[in-house]
Amino acid sequence: MSEELPARRQRAATLDETDHRIIAALTRDGRAQSTAIGEELGLSGNVVANRIRAMDAAGAMRVVALADFRIHGYRLLARIRLRISGRPASDVAHELAARDDVLSVHITSGRYPVSCLHAFRNARDMIEAARDVSAGIAGVEDVDVELINSVYRYNPTVGPLEPR
Amino acid sequence: MMPETPSYPSTDQLDREIATMLAGDARLSFRKIAADLGVTEGTVRGRVRRLQNAGLLKLMPIIDIARINEPGDNGQHMMFITVKCASGKLDQVRDGLLGLPQVSALYDANAALRLVAVCILPSLADGAAVTDKVLALDGIREVETEFVLQSIKYNAAIGPIATVNDLRGLDAESR
Repeated sequence: MSEELPARRQRAATLDETDHRIIAALTRDGRAQSTAIGEELGLSGNVVANRIRAMDAAGAMRVVALADFRIHGYRLLARIRLRISGRPASDVAHELAARDDVLSVHITSGRYPVSCLHAFRNARDMIEAARDVSAGIAGVEDVDVELINSVYRYNPTVGPLEPR
Repeated sequence: MMPETPSYPSTDQLDREIATMLAGDARLSFRKIAADLGVTEGTVRGRVRRLQNAGLLKLMPIIDIARINEPGDNGQHMMFITVKCASGKLDQVRDGLLGLPQVSALYDANAALRLVAVCILPSLADGAAVTDKVLALDGIREVETEFVLQSIKYNAAIGPIATVNDLRGLDAESR
């Protein structure tokens, strides 16, 4: 954390115990009123509202809506992992990231350096996308496609937040 | 045996628009959403509740993965664990993985012989500890771990939000 950050921002960026208690209350109900959270924690509604605002403004914590891929018209989900040669993995990753139906792309330490989560509207889309990736992206040496059947847990308590 | 057909309520353009407006700030007032989309506040409230009950929409806080670096704070590293299970052992291995608090997401893939766990870890040493616990589970054939070195694109707000339990709940409701 750089030292030139203003004090207020720095405080919000490193969450203290009160922040974590507020976050715990928001985990139970993301739309709980500040006054209700305050009553529960023995704080004024204003303190709660200010802390939520400060954490949000600093990009340290945000209450978000997690939407299932099916809301957006997708029906299938697959993890696609790629082995690359003769080209930086990040170039391939950026090429994949440009696609709307690629939900996430990570560079990993594993034998497949590029790992992505890909959504599809139907089986034909999936077959075509897999072919596009293997034949249409330079440097792709091997593709591993795993169709996701059942999701047992999805609880991203931590994620990337863009500053507002 | 055919896999169970997942059931979920149909969604429309209004559901997508409401979800998109709430994506960046789930505490946005329903009055504002209603005014922007030209519907009543009651409609917005009803749609959100319906999507929440179906498990298709969850309103919750997320902590920034890049910013948290104080000891004791939640996680900074992301690790994928891919487990190949022995035949017939998937349920047992799945329950073992669900017992680990570091596992923030878990799904199965490829004819239900593979499980993929996403772990959020405060340190690399925690990655080793979690891996050891996974290796100790009965019914495992092969374990592969990958640390995320860089996230090129990661939008936690759209993903496999509805779990099998949410979908089972729907089946029970419709009966």
